[in-house]
Amino acid sequence: MKLPAKEKWLWLVPLIAVLLLWEFTAGYVIKNPLFLPRFSAVIFSIYVLREVLIPDILVSLLHFGIGLGLAFAVALPLAIGMGWSKSIFKAIDPIIEILRPIPPLAWIPIAMIWFHLTHYAAGFIIFIGAFFPILIDSYTGFRDVPKVLVETGKVLGCIGDKKQIKYVAFPYALPSVATGTRVGMGVGWMCVVAAEMFGVSDSGLGFRLFQKFYFLHQMDYVVAYMLVLGLVALCLDRLFRHFVEDKLFKWKKGIVK
Amino acid sequence: MNHKLELRNVTKTFNTEEGEMGALEGISIEVKPAEFLCIIGPSGCGKTTLLRMIAGLDHPSSGEIILDGKEVKGPSPDRGMVFQEFSLFPWRTVLKNVEFGLEIKGVGDKARGEIAEKYIELVGLQGFENHYPYELSGGMKQRVAIARALATEPSILLMDEPFGSVDAQTRNILQEELLEIWKRTKKTVLFVTHSVDEAVYLADRVAVMSARPGCLVKCLDINIPRPRKRTSLEVNEFRGKLLMLLSLERSKACISV
Ligand SMILES: Nc1ncnc2c1ncn2[C@@H]1O[C@H](COP(=O)(O)OP(=O)(O)OP(=O)(O)O)[C@@H](O)[C@H]1O
Ligand SMILES: [Mg+2]
Repeated sequence: MKLPAKEKWLWLVPLIAVLLLWEFTAGYVIKNPLFLPRFSAVIFSIYVLREVLIPDILVSLLHFGIGLGLAFAVALPLAIGMGWSKSIFKAIDPIIEILRPIPPLAWIPIAMIWFHLTHYAAGFIIFIGAFFPILIDSYTGFRDVPKVLVETGKVLGCIGDKKQIKYVAFPYALPSVATGTRVGMGVGWMCVVAAEMFGVSDSGLGFRLFQKFYFLHQMDYVVAYMLVLGLVALCLDRLFRHFVEDKLFKWKKGIVK
Repeated sequence: MNHKLELRNVTKTFNTEEGEMGALEGISIEVKPAEFLCIIGPSGCGKTTLLRMIAGLDHPSSGEIILDGKEVKGPSPDRGMVFQEFSLFPWRTVLKNVEFGLEIKGVGDKARGEIAEKYIELVGLQGFENHYPYELSGGMKQRVAIARALATEPSILLMDEPFGSVDAQTRNILQEELLEIWKRTKKTVLFVTHSVDEAVYLADRVAVMSARPGCLVKCLDINIPRPRKRTSLEVNEFRGKLLMLLSLERSKACISV
């Protein structure tokens, strides 16, 4: 999508307005940094915290990577099976439907018992968060492969489940897998703070935010970390879109836009 | 006995929710090598079902389908099929679509490209190799489907109303191209249509089917020399004969030949 130069920067206007409003309200109306630190104070905090910030981001990304990688590795084969075969779907779906509504945070005690205070415990919570969106979207993709495409494959010599999945179902479902992964990334990231809250490591964005800054009521630091949490997620999403969706799915253009 | 294809008393009933439904009843027909046979009949008389069974995508409830002396058991790339609906793989470019059957067969990269290119030229799509299906018109899509069906060099081509969804002008052009390809490649062609004009212009012989349950009413040889003129007297006469037969059928119960 190409926008005229004027529209391209339009998003900056409300953003700056909100930031100014924040700065002004915090500084001249509320006048209580515990209640709402000023934007400038928050930015300054990010600068002050730069030495712990980078390792914290890396540790959080480690937890995120463990959870997301595991979720993808488990959800994808399951989704292929469920989408391709009605009987596998019928066998597994009830279990999925029972587990799915359980909030990821409810798994924290289990994670502690199973993995103790390790990175894997945090990874497990993120896994629970990311798993279901990846599974459900991917499964839908594999289920909805048009019959005519499968039959076209058959007539052209694509016989047997393995070949049909590889040459027809998988490429067809790939955009759904990507959508699910993107949603799963979002949910997984939201679980990062909670996953680190109970002290699986002595660093990490969530750990620092909750165990250190909040306990000391350093609200400017808390808000600084909140902003960083948002920004990292934004970057992850943009990277994913840039490297996966835009590159791989040129052919989808005609269908969705 | 050197029939290319032989149907012996082929009957098909579908099990639907309302019970058994007869789709085809006692179809027997022989097709000679390199013959161009058109199958014509009202909508819902089982033309697609018949073609799908010859392709091996469905099985007769009783009766036999013999191709090259062997009973048809399942799909195989020695029968090319062009479906009634659009069936291009949307994630593959024109070239990659045409290469599909060869890729499954394990033909090497370079040879594959050369063969595909040959058929792309045959259907007049050179220059569009790297376009995705969404960038093509309906007529172009069907041309790609034809090229793709031809690329594995099947000895028989099954075409299910391939030009049903293109305008009359394009349709005429595609018909001429198809005849050209047929002449050059000496394939046996089974061509389903519900257009009388199309049948008379294309076929060596036309098989007329009656409405549900579909059965073969009559096979007529079209002994009009090629190239035919759409407006010539003999073509018109034959068209009249065919139209009369069809309207007669509509008002009469099914009788076997
Ligand atoms: N899988 C199926 N299950 C049940 N009934 C079916 C199935 N496939 C086809 N039929 C029925 O069989 C009959 C013949 O269908 P078919 O698609 O072969 O018709 P057709 O001659 O190709 O029609 P058209 O010219 O509209 O394409 C129809 O009444 C249809 O409802
Ligand atoms: Mg049909």
